[in-house]
Amino acid sequence: MEIRKNVTGDTHELSVAGRVDGEGANQLELEILNSIRAKAQAIYVNLSQATFLCSAGLRALLQYWRQMKNNKRVLLVTRPSPEVEAVLAATGFKEQMVEKI
Amino acid sequence: MEIVLHNRPGEKQRLVGALEAFTAEHGLPAKVHQAAELALEEHVTNVVNYAYTDNAPHEIRVRLSCDACALYVEVEDDGKAFNPLTAPQVDTSVPLERRPVGGLGIHLMRQFMDTLEYRREGGRNILRLTKHLAA
Repeated sequence: MEIRKNVTGDTHELSVAGRVDGEGANQLELEILNSIRAKAQAIYVNLSQATFLCSAGLRALLQYWRQMKNNKRVLLVTRPSPEVEAVLAATGFKEQMVEKI
Repeated sequence: MEIVLHNRPGEKQRLVGALEAFTAEHGLPAKVHQAAELALEEHVTNVVNYAYTDNAPHEIRVRLSCDACALYVEVEDDGKAFNPLTAPQVDTSVPLERRPVGGLGIHLMRQFMDTLEYRREGGRNILRLTKHLAA
């Protein structure tokens, strides 16, 4: 799995390519934490190139979605691939966690 | 096809490759492959993380088969007795602010596979999952 970070001001976009399995979730968590430490006001996790998302990935997203929200900041998933969107929909994450375009 | 995994890091990659080879060989639809891949990730992770109370090596056997109707996945482990079907249902209508963190793995197995069956035999947990080939 690869994560590419694009920073514009205090907005961080993390573009994830590949499988967000258990190890991928750990990697994603580290990148999100790096962005939080860098005082990002908004973190967008672009999952358009993610081919797989498991519960470990969901837990990482939920944890930091909540943390950012509690600090009046934003973490959202953008452009989920069909495979990822199916997982987000099945778990009720889609409505609140996916950016609405 | 049977794949024998061990309860140590890195083993799941072998399972990913084996499942890919199996579904390709049998021409199974992508949705069937994706469902099985997710269910296996969730269940094998739970077995590795929670089934054992020692530091000894253990085998986890994964059997794949199919016919004209369905893909059958069976996972057998010698961990402590645990029936995932008894896990409480996840209420996905609870707002994310108040959502419990746990339980999503088994929830995804239930959502993406068509049937789940559990039995305990000879000190082993055996979970059988089925995914129908027709949409």
